[in-house]
Amino acid sequence: MFELLETLIQRPNFVVFVILFLWGIYIMSAHPNLVKKLIGLYIVQTSVIFFLVAFSAKDGATVPIILADSGLVDPMLYANPLPHALTVTAIVVQIATLGVSLALVSAIYRKFGSLDEDEILEQLK
Amino acid sequence: MSSNLPVLLFLVPFVMGVSMPLLTAKRRSWCPNITLGTFGVMLLLSIANLRVVLAQGSIEYAFGGWAAPIGIAWLNDSIAAIVVLIMSLVAVITQIYGRLDIAKDLEKSIPYYTLILIMVSGLVGVIFAADLFNVFVFLEVVALTGYALVGAAGGKGLVYAFRYLLLGSFGASLYLLGLGHLYVATGTLNMEDLAVRLPELMTSTAVAGGLIYIFLGLSIKMALIPLHSWLPDAYANAPSSVTPLLASTVTKVSLVAWIRIEYSIIAPGVEVSHVPVVVLLEELGVIAALIGGALALIQTNLKRMFAYGGISHIGLILIGVSLGNTTGFAGGMFYLINDAVMQASLFMIAGTLIYYHGVHTLEDLRGVGRQSPWLTGALVVAAVAMVGLPPTGGFFGKWNIILGALEAQHYLAAFTVVASTLLTLAYFLKIFSCWFHQPQHATSEPLVVSNALRFSLGAISFSMIALGLMSDTIFQFLIESITTGGV
Repeated sequence: MFELLETLIQRPNFVVFVILFLWGIYIMSAHPNLVKKLIGLYIVQTSVIFFLVAFSAKDGATVPIILADSGLVDPMLYANPLPHALTVTAIVVQIATLGVSLALVSAIYRKFGSLDEDEILEQLK
Repeated sequence: MSSNLPVLLFLVPFVMGVSMPLLTAKRRSWCPNITLGTFGVMLLLSIANLRVVLAQGSIEYAFGGWAAPIGIAWLNDSIAAIVVLIMSLVAVITQIYGRLDIAKDLEKSIPYYTLILIMVSGLVGVIFAADLFNVFVFLEVVALTGYALVGAAGGKGLVYAFRYLLLGSFGASLYLLGLGHLYVATGTLNMEDLAVRLPELMTSTAVAGGLIYIFLGLSIKMALIPLHSWLPDAYANAPSSVTPLLASTVTKVSLVAWIRIEYSIIAPGVEVSHVPVVVLLEELGVIAALIGGALALIQTNLKRMFAYGGISHIGLILIGVSLGNTTGFAGGMFYLINDAVMQASLFMIAGTLIYYHGVHTLEDLRGVGRQSPWLTGALVVAAVAMVGLPPTGGFFGKWNIILGALEAQHYLAAFTVVASTLLTLAYFLKIFSCWFHQPQHATSEPLVVSNALRFSLGAISFSMIALGLMSDTIFQFLIESITTGGV
């Protein structure tokens, strides 16, 4: 028990990730309001991006740019660029998803005059 | 030139999709023709690509000349070549059909055609990608355009498109999370490289967790029961003109992505507490095939019935590819190809019924058979293929899955294939008993259907039979890919 607690305290980033992820799922499934569901989805996606950033963090590392005259480089000094490239792409995907989902929500609001899922399902019957 | 075919296959629909607003700003009536022309070019390119793969075996395409572990690679093997060919064929046929069945406000809508083209380019990307992150990006391209297309008809479709979006994006997040786990454990995302590094790491919980997240994410996208709930409503309310394309490609391509991951990463011997992982996948397929068939049987709405039929087939394919022998694999992959064609055919029939006869449910079907000989013919061929009788492709796929199951001595899997065949037969009997039923009011004259509709129904029925007749060649071709692909 104590060891588990110790491992958790040593990894605050991953604890935050788990909390954000579960919180997002809870909001997505529990709130009837469509915009709040979207916020939940956004939190889930952001938590995954946070996870990608968290594991690639490195203390005191410099940017991975190699100059022409720098000769042989020690990879330990540089941050790994790949997780950051993944993160940027994932953020782009996330923004595109957000755009499509907001367009859908506004179309739903114009059509059904409500953002509450229960009211909309009532009208669908 | 010939080595650039995969990229050309991706670029043709992508460039045409992006430049659609420029090309058609002043001549909106060109939109359907340009889309059809693009798919036609894709069909020719994919035939050329198949010839190249037949002649040279699988080819790895390195972007910008950077070879695999450092650069991004696409794999052009027999699975990719044949799935892209079938997908282009389905795209051409459904586009010919889609021009007839299209709603008035979508007929000249530039965004609608742009979405279709970009979705198809994303599908090509998923099929060729040999890199986990590439698969993620292209799956999201497919998914985002898919959400928009499901909602394109407005009305009820919007709500179901939103639901699809929530579940689909959550699945994508899970996939990304799993990918992150695998990257942490191995430091690479290239599938071939992962296949080298993973076997010794299989005991690590990070790797196991990563693979589970990836599978969960993809099973939402491929609508594997019990994560299927978005699919029937979304397809039942999507515009009829695009449902055949969505139904035949989106779930199948996610399954292709999983099959690639499964075959390059999970070796058949990998176990979780003495149960091989592939057997667990096979059991999931058993559950999906049986429950999907049973749910199809109790539906009254035709489109929903066909959608559940497709869901049960996803289970069958998963059984086939998880048996761990080449017979089962070839059967499963072949069934996947067939299922793409069958789903397109069924949703084209359902769309035509709504368009010409206003038929949505089984009750409305009474007496339709006497008015539409062409539709009857197409439905009979589709039913024969879905149930799995020779000479259609459905038979040979199921036959090989059963043979593979017997070879692996998994009798439950073999039983499931037979049971799901019986369930399919049962729901088609329900359809036919209404179809040939005496109409309630006096029969009108046979409907005059346009030649284009006759052509598309005829072509899709013909391709189901042609796939059956060529099954042996295709099996040989598919098996080559896994013997060279390192199982």
